Order: sequence, then C-alpha cells, then structure tokens
Amino acid sequence: MGIILKVENINVYYGNIHAIKDVSFEVNEGEIVTLIGANGAGKSSSLNTITGLLRSRTGSIEFDGENISHTPAHKIVSKGLALVPEGRRIFQQMTVKENLDMGAYTGRDGFDDRLAEVYERFPRLKEREKQIAGTLSGGEQQMLAMGRALMSSPKLLMLDEPSMGLAPILVEQIFDIISSLHKAGTTILLVEQNAQAALAVANRGYVLETGRIVTSGTGRELLNSAAIKKAYLGG
Amino acid sequence: MSFLYFLINGISLGSIYAIIALGYTMVYGISKMLNFAHGDVIMVGAYICFFSLTRFNLPPLVAVAAAMLVCMVLGMTIEKLAYKPLRQATSLAVLITAIGVSYLLQNLALLLFSPNVKVFPSIVGNGKISMGDIVVSHVTIVTIIVCIVIMVGMTLFTGRTKIGKAMRACSEDKAAAQLMGINVDATISVTFIIGSGLAAIAGVLLCSTYPTLVPTTGSMPGIKAFTAAVFGGIGSIPGAFLGGLLLGIIEIFAKAYISTQISDAIVFAVLIIVLLVKPTGLLGKKTREKV
Repeated sequence: MGIILKVENINVYYGNIHAIKDVSFEVNEGEIVTLIGANGAGKSSSLNTITGLLRSRTGSIEFDGENISHTPAHKIVSKGLALVPEGRRIFQQMTVKENLDMGAYTGRDGFDDRLAEVYERFPRLKEREKQIAGTLSGGEQQMLAMGRALMSSPKLLMLDEPSMGLAPILVEQIFDIISSLHKAGTTILLVEQNAQAALAVANRGYVLETGRIVTSGTGRELLNSAAIKKAYLGG
Repeated sequence: MSFLYFLINGISLGSIYAIIALGYTMVYGISKMLNFAHGDVIMVGAYICFFSLTRFNLPPLVAVAAAMLVCMVLGMTIEKLAYKPLRQATSLAVLITAIGVSYLLQNLALLLFSPNVKVFPSIVGNGKISMGDIVVSHVTIVTIIVCIVIMVGMTLFTGRTKIGKAMRACSEDKAAAQLMGINVDATISVTFIIGSGLAAIAGVLLCSTYPTLVPTTGSMPGIKAFTAAVFGGIGSIPGAFLGGLLLGIIEIFAKAYISTQISDAIVFAVLIIVLLVKPTGLLGKKTREKV
C-alpha cells in the first residue's frame, strides 16, 4: 500500500485570514481517510487546495508521485483525483445524463462502460436520465454528484460533506455507498461534520480545529478517544 | 401597407436584434458581465465587410467571412486584454471597462474610417419579391432565414457538442466546471469568439437593411439588443431570440401605427413593464437550492 496523496505543510489564506495552518496528512492506496472537525475548521479549504481551487503559500501536495501544488484546477481531474464538492454543485439546469457527460469531460475511452457502472450503482439516476438535475431530490442530487465524480474513474475520490442537509435515512444510504465504493477498491478522502458516521467507516482520521490538525489516529481510536467524544460526538 | 408587411419587417428587424442579443446573453451567461462593446463589434464587422466589398471587390460571402474573422479575433483580444485581468474584480469595474472599450472602438473607427457616412451596398442586392399584394426585399427574407439557421445551429451547438455543454456548465458553476476538467478561461474565450462572429453577421445584415454606416452605427442596435436579451431573460439563448423578435415587431408596429418619433420610447416602456411584472425576463430562469 503506497502513499497516493501526501499533503505537506500547507498554509492557505483568504485575504488576511489564515484558514489552514501547517496542515500535513496523507492517504494510502485503498484507504478511507476522513478529515473531521467543526464548521470553519478548514476541512473544505483543505480539499479545495488539493484540487487547485485554492492555493497554498507553502509546502507541497503530491499525488501519485507527482507534485500538483501548482497544477491548474482543470488539469487535476485527468490525473485521477475527483472531488464531490460541498453542497453537491451539480449542474442544475442540465439533465442527469448531461451532468454525467461532464463528469467524463476529460475521459477518452470507456465512456459507455463507466456510465453502465454508475447506473448500476445508482439505478435511480438511470430512471431519471433525461430529467433536469435541479428537479431531483436532495438525496438524488448527492448520488448524481457522486456518480458524476465516478465518471472520471478517479484513483482517489474526495467527498466534501456528502451527508450535509440529508434526512437520516439518506445519510445512512450515502455512507453505505461510500463503504461499498471502498470495498470495490476506490481510495477515499472524506470530509465530514458527522464525525461519528465518518469515523465508523474510515480506516484513519485527522481532526481539524481552527485550521490545524490537532490529533489523528485510526477510526476506532478516534471514536473511542475521550477528547473527541466530548468535542464532536456529543459526550 | 398592410399588417402582414409590417409583421415581416418586424420579424426581420427582430432577427437582427436576436442575433446581437445572442452574443450579449451568451457572454453574460458565462462571464456574468454586460459586454457593452458588443454593439461596436457589429460596427467593426460592417466596416470590414464594406471595405472588402467596395475596395477589394471581394465576393459577398468572402466579405462576410472576412468580417466574421476580424470580429472573432477582435472579440478574443478584447476579452484577453480588457476583461480577463478583471475576472476577480467587482462587476462595476468590469462594466465601466466595457463602456471604455466601447468608446475606444468608436473613436478608433472615427480615426481609421472617418466620420463620413458610408453607403453600405446590400449584401444580397436590392431585389424584391412580391407575395400577394405585398412586396418584400431579398434582404428581409435572407435576414429571417439567417436568424433561423443561427437559432437552430446554436441550439444544437449548446445541446449536443462537448464544448457547447462545457459552456453551459461554466455558465452555471465555474468552480464545479473546473473540477470536471473544463478549462474555464478557454471556454470564456470561445464564447466571446462565437458572440463576436455573430455580431459581424448582424452588422452586415443591419447595414444591408439600413445602409448608412458610421462609427456609431452599432450603439443603438446594441442597446436595443441588450434590451431584447434582458426582455427575454438574460443568460437564456431561447430568451434572446424571443426577446429580439418581439422587440423588432413591437418597434416596427409602434413606428407604423403610433408614431415614428416615439417608437424607441415605446420599446423601452415595454421593457420596463415586462421587468416590473417578471423581473427575470420572459424566459429567465430561477434556481433554488434543494435539500
């Protein structure tokens, strides 16, 4: 199991606000790694820095042995890194199928196979293929956002708050899907406020607080840690 | 003079507005800016076509192609030099820059082409055909046909092609589009190139119908086409066509049945009324967050 993503010592600013402070973490091939923390802790900013939407002033981001710290955002996905962004960000005015087309924008071969795989995993998307994406329910939109990211056959799938705003039954469904994607061999970096659910599926986790990593460990260790319980798991 | 005659002329004028409005609306859709220099690109297109026809004696189709080519390069250059550096700036800064570019083009045209009126030779000759008791010029018919071709073409382009879909994706959400691997800067560039090419066609058709060409020829049609784009729902391609056609028809009817002097006032009054009733325009889209 080699390291697929290595984030080293990144510092990100929004104007004068120091949002991410000396953050380093890594993801091994085949793992689910989670970043947990409260609102504004720097979780999404970390993912957005990896995808090139934000820039770090220091350090480096290495993906699959290549330094991608200065790679433009639109060239990231073809390297095998896909992000399911916070708030889903599907193309609301396009159809379900067109959204999936966009997911495969940089892909060359095997479109039909990947589409078949995505439809097999999310049969609801096939049923709604021609529907305008903005008319889907929240849970369906999340599935579409995940399906869209999977259309690029990523080596590493990053998910930013996939359970946000969903009913409990849907949250459970989304985490089931994450587990099954992992079982099928996808490496996953998961950002969540729902720390309990995230740690339950993750191999390892990092806890962010006001832009810094304050602790890390295996999913189980963090679930059982007294400090984590107190801060994130409701005692 | 019959109702039908005015209607056909209204549709023809509306077709020109629609083609210009398309450029406004596509550029607005993707870069959320009002490119007020768009009207002046029309003027440049008309001048290029004029000189190609009169000075270099090129065949009409080649002259139109030359006008399109020059306008496409011009549109791309304007975007690169004037708007791209302002991608992160406030919309007011971009708006003022666009007005600046507009004045720049007009004044360059004054210097290069002189303020003298050029009489534009119609691109399809001055022939007329009679249909029943009304006589319609070739230009009118050609204008309507060109508009239909462009409308069908743009619908297919944005609906079926990869780059067309990428344009729609960028219009909706640039960050998400980048995550898909879409080069947003290149896509914006392509949008300006297409819009400017269409502006050249509109300029040729406009001057074939109303043959006086001066450096400010593009301003008023530009503003009216902008009105048409807002009228139809800015950002919406079918909206640009609907808005353009309606505006042309309203303008001709106002001229024919009410008063030539206040026809423009009537056109803008209609815009105000539509926006009061439906602020997003006739086909404007509203999106809402779902949970």
